[in-house]
Amino acid sequence: MATIFFADPELVIGHGRRVLFVNPDDLQLFKEIELPPDLATCGLKVADSKEQHCQHEQQDVAAAGSAKQSSNTASASASKAKAIEVSIQNVSYSPDRQLLAITTTGGQKALLLYRSRMEHARLLSVRPLARASSALRFCSDGSSVLVTDKTGDCYQYDCVEVEAAPRLLLGHLSVVFDILWTDDQQHIITCDRDDKIRVTNYPATFDIHSYCLGHKEFVSGLALLTEQHIVSSSGDKTLRVWNFIEGKELLIHQLPAPAVRLQVQQLEPEKVYQVAVLFYDHVDGVAIYRLERSSGDNWAITATTVVRADAGLWNICNFTLTGNRVYVTGAENECLAIKAYDIGSGETSTSVPDGWVKMVLRGLEAEGVAYLPEDLSVWFKKRFDNVSDYLERKKRRIEEQQQQKCG
Amino acid sequence: MARDSEDQDMETETNGAAEGLDPTSAVTGLPQKRFYRQRAHSNPIADHSFDYPARPEDVNWRALYPSIQPDQKVTFADIGCGYGGFLVTLGEMFPEKFSIGMEIRVKVSDYVMDRITALRHKSGEAGAYKNIACLRTNAMKYLPNYFAKGQLEKMFFLYPDPHFKRAKHKWRIINQALLSEYAYVLKKGGLVYTMTDVEDLHQWIVQHMEEHPLYERLKEEEEQSDPITPKLYQSSEEGAKVVRNKGDHFLAIFRRL
Repeated sequence: MATIFFADPELVIGHGRRVLFVNPDDLQLFKEIELPPDLATCGLKVADSKEQHCQHEQQDVAAAGSAKQSSNTASASASKAKAIEVSIQNVSYSPDRQLLAITTTGGQKALLLYRSRMEHARLLSVRPLARASSALRFCSDGSSVLVTDKTGDCYQYDCVEVEAAPRLLLGHLSVVFDILWTDDQQHIITCDRDDKIRVTNYPATFDIHSYCLGHKEFVSGLALLTEQHIVSSSGDKTLRVWNFIEGKELLIHQLPAPAVRLQVQQLEPEKVYQVAVLFYDHVDGVAIYRLERSSGDNWAITATTVVRADAGLWNICNFTLTGNRVYVTGAENECLAIKAYDIGSGETSTSVPDGWVKMVLRGLEAEGVAYLPEDLSVWFKKRFDNVSDYLERKKRRIEEQQQQKCG
Repeated sequence: MARDSEDQDMETETNGAAEGLDPTSAVTGLPQKRFYRQRAHSNPIADHSFDYPARPEDVNWRALYPSIQPDQKVTFADIGCGYGGFLVTLGEMFPEKFSIGMEIRVKVSDYVMDRITALRHKSGEAGAYKNIACLRTNAMKYLPNYFAKGQLEKMFFLYPDPHFKRAKHKWRIINQALLSEYAYVLKKGGLVYTMTDVEDLHQWIVQHMEEHPLYERLKEEEEQSDPITPKLYQSSEEGAKVVRNKGDHFLAIFRRL
């Protein structure tokens, strides 16, 4: 997927094997990172000790690591996996922006940790992942980073001991779409495809503090509001505010369509937030809500802005907000496209510098390269009925039997 | 495995639906198992068409227990209750407690529901068996949808699917991640009963439970003196079958700390 987020003043866009850090208001490129085609050349290897932590599906890791190993360990599956090009899955800054984490998917699944500087980024370590990541989050002091995956596992990677093997912290039974770690590091909050938001104590992650239950489809995104409050977006066409300490639902706001991505900006601490969601298959691409807290646990949506984002004309995949614009990524004519809209008017932004989009696409080496965004339809539960057929046959059997008795 | 071993090689649709025979026994008035047979394994990770409550407050317990009062709660859960033999015993042993059996397989859970209905009917004015019920659900996924934090006093995992293949260990009903979920719905001091005739699985269960900081295994004297223990060996018909087969079975009971 094309990753995009705004870390003022940088707009960070990851795609393929490249991450660009660009100024949205001029043609300045703050820095860029390019991953090698084979991560073994920058230090990826199989960590033997890791096998205890990732008990299942070791093939991925084995495949990732075998590139630099002696040829007798390279299996057919490894060479097959290697044929799939490495691509960037998630990118995240530590809160103090000193560290940068990148996860990759494709032939080599890995977590790359960088020391970040304004002008460049220095690679600190490359550690193998058991599976492709689904979300990535640093803790508030940047001492470790959490990686979740499609089977619902959440691993902690140390950022001080940068080569240390990961620790399995908790597990869901389905893909974890987002993860939060409170500023006081007391709670890790995760959401999954089975409608759940789970609040886990930290460091005692074997102890579940609470669940925030009420969503009726996948929970696609989470954001921290205050020390007790979070907002969540879901495929059930709702946005909800929770007191996660008590597992209590405080606000439910109906959306016109399922929400697949969530972005939140704080406008006034503890009080006013801009909550933006990306819709799945809807005439409007993005909606931006003003969320206000009047007192204690009282929250309300006080204003709505809709950004059509030419929905329906291209395959929208991801988005982010800057102070005044919404940047939407997706595929147009089967290639990566990035479009900017004004938050105020919802129309295509006219203030983006000439040549900016072209520069970004060229910088990502995305021009003319086929790109197929993630198929988000698989997030929805497949409803298949394995009950009514059985009950129908049972009913018929009983009826037949009663007829025989009567006859 | 023993719980359903008689059904191992039965494919889902092999019973005689068209035979026109009475699914209810003429002798006992209870439903006959052979009309509800289903293979022993189910993929607990896959999507199924379950109707499940979004949260515990949304559960209509009255539909399951006709006499339950608003201040009463289900406190015993038999996870993967199979044909419900032990669930019925629980209901008889603890008339004042509400016990739920959870079973993922369509026909098997339907059998238990029909059996309970028949037992209640047979009991007539005595009004027995109103304290047991069965839900068709995926306990691995939906326990927190049914039970609040600390609600359960006892959980039973009797003859769970061993999922021998290493790649399927995540499907085991006892695994590292799920133990935290069970600890969430169990009250402090609550007990987890496990029984299996697969020694490897027994060792796996004991290892994972003992590694988990929120559980401790009961001492052997405590395990043996628990009034439920003899019932675990004897009173479920599945368990009785193991005794007949002279198979070894392995009991372990753990306390939620």
